[in-house]
Amino acid sequence: MSTALKPKHQRLVLVILALVVLIGAALLAIWGLRGQASYFYVPSDIASDPPEPGRAVRLGGMVQQGSIQTLADGVTVAFVVGDGKATVPVRYTGITPDLFVEGSGVVADGRLDADGTFVADSLLAKHDENYMPRELEEMSEAQAKAVVAETTAQ
Amino acid sequence: MHGFANPARFLRLARWMTPLLLVTGLVLVAGSLAWGLFYAPADRLMGETVRILYIHVPSAWLGMGGWTTIAIASLVELVWRHPLATIAARAAAVPGAVFTAICLATGSIWGRPTWGTWWVWDGRLTSMLVLLFLYFAYLALANAAQKDGIGAGSRVTAIFGLVGAINVPIINRSVVWWNSLHQPASITMGKSAIDPAFLWPLLICALGFSLLFGGVVLARMRAILADFQAEARLRRRAQRELATGRAMSSVEGAAT
Amino acid sequence: MIWPILKRDVVLLLGGGRRGGALLPILFFLAVAMLYPFAVGPDAKLLARTGGGVVWVAALLAAILPLDRLVEPDLEAGFFDQWALRGLAEEWLCAVRIFAHWLCFAVPLMLATPIAAVLLGLSGEQLLTLELGLLAGTPGLAALGVAVAAVTAGLRGGAALAGLLILPLAVPLLIFGAGSLSTGGEGGLALTAAASLVLVALCPFAAGAALRAARE
Repeated sequence: MSTALKPKHQRLVLVILALVVLIGAALLAIWGLRGQASYFYVPSDIASDPPEPGRAVRLGGMVQQGSIQTLADGVTVAFVVGDGKATVPVRYTGITPDLFVEGSGVVADGRLDADGTFVADSLLAKHDENYMPRELEEMSEAQAKAVVAETTAQ
Repeated sequence: MHGFANPARFLRLARWMTPLLLVTGLVLVAGSLAWGLFYAPADRLMGETVRILYIHVPSAWLGMGGWTTIAIASLVELVWRHPLATIAARAAAVPGAVFTAICLATGSIWGRPTWGTWWVWDGRLTSMLVLLFLYFAYLALANAAQKDGIGAGSRVTAIFGLVGAINVPIINRSVVWWNSLHQPASITMGKSAIDPAFLWPLLICALGFSLLFGGVVLARMRAILADFQAEARLRRRAQRELATGRAMSSVEGAAT
Repeated sequence: MIWPILKRDVVLLLGGGRRGGALLPILFFLAVAMLYPFAVGPDAKLLARTGGGVVWVAALLAAILPLDRLVEPDLEAGFFDQWALRGLAEEWLCAVRIFAHWLCFAVPLMLATPIAAVLLGLSGEQLLTLELGLLAGTPGLAALGVAVAAVTAGLRGGAALAGLLILPLAVPLLIFGAGSLSTGGEGGLALTAAASLVLVALCPFAAGAALRAARE
């Protein structure tokens, strides 16, 4: 900068510099997001790169159909969480949230134990973006699909 | 557009618009809430707790809409120096903050039975909480700027309003960028994953709350304008009294 | 023309005159790092796990302290009017001041961080990530500081108001910066640097506009 430049031109130089910096920031962000640790691990992360047993991690995924069983003590549930590619067996002692059903999404805080079972200290259920009345669920799948197609077409 | 720059014309318009918006908004909100709370069906998974949707979602939209209003009005203030824009930005801040707070509170109440927790630090919740604090900061700044005289510091406040607007798209995209506990948007451009049984009361409720929001903004704008006028009148009178007082004392001085 | 202004800014911000110099925020930063073990107990494991985040929070809190002397004294004394008369754009003055503020606040802060790391029982590896994170994040924090200082200059409320303004805007820096500690991260560092660069690019304009607005 020199005082020979008018303030307007000085500003223009700074705008160009700022744009260069912003492009740099965008490249850095894209590079940084590549290996972004998200809110939770998914089962395939645990399968490919298991965290050491005992380290606190957060696991997220879908409860596999037909996998929920209540153990003999009555308050411990065991189930399998999967993401379509890998699965992890999970054990949790405590009261489960309303949305915890087979096929729903869950996020569990806890740790892997030595034999590869995920022991959860807390269990959160994730809701998907679909809202549907109970009556609709009792329809046959084809009927429900027709209704959904009708409502989403608008 | 510059027709509205005239506060007198704006006030004439606002005088009948304010009650109209407030009353229509109240009627729509009351009707759709009654529909949503008593007649709409329960959700297949969440059951009765889904009914909090009718308050949570409109207040989330309006919490973000409030800051969008601030940002647009701030831009208008900075570029065109429109006298009403400052007032509009300031008037939108309080209802925006209130709706953001309602959204956070109802979300927390909803999260407890459905997710199993009052609060988690995920992208959507965190960015919404940041929005609430931005509102607090904006209100404090506008207040501090105003104490130095009406109209002073309005451009400075507008700059902060624009800077804070970065957060609004972050809130909107947060559920896409991060694997969050909060579900992705149910209603996107022309498509809805919400069954019509929930969707209609929701949309009417959102419309009603928006009208209420607009009515409150207009009412606050009228109040701020009245303050301006009262202060200007007081200042004029003080000056006049000062001038006559000085004249009087000089006359007295001359007499003695 | 830049050089003498930078030199003057650095001398003023280091010395500080009646509003306290560069040393006060650093001492405050160390005091917060010292308080934390008193509050949660001297459990070495807990301290080591949470200490990095505490250093970030302490840095953000310390960053509030110099805000009311970054811009206001010069604005009051009419220096910015003088510079404007000489045909210098406010944006450049703010960019220079951001750099000066970074030199006088962030560099001493990074020098003091090893001491805080000892108090909190951080390992060498954690300290390295922490220093890199601060290196990536503090330019953005400095830019934000100057912008907020310019916005609040001349207003009543001073540092408390400036603190209320700066903290929500600094949240991304804190999340990515402190996040780089726990999830081992080049990714976290890159995101901290990205957020920081965005602030560095935008804040001179916000601060410059605020200075011009304050003149009217």
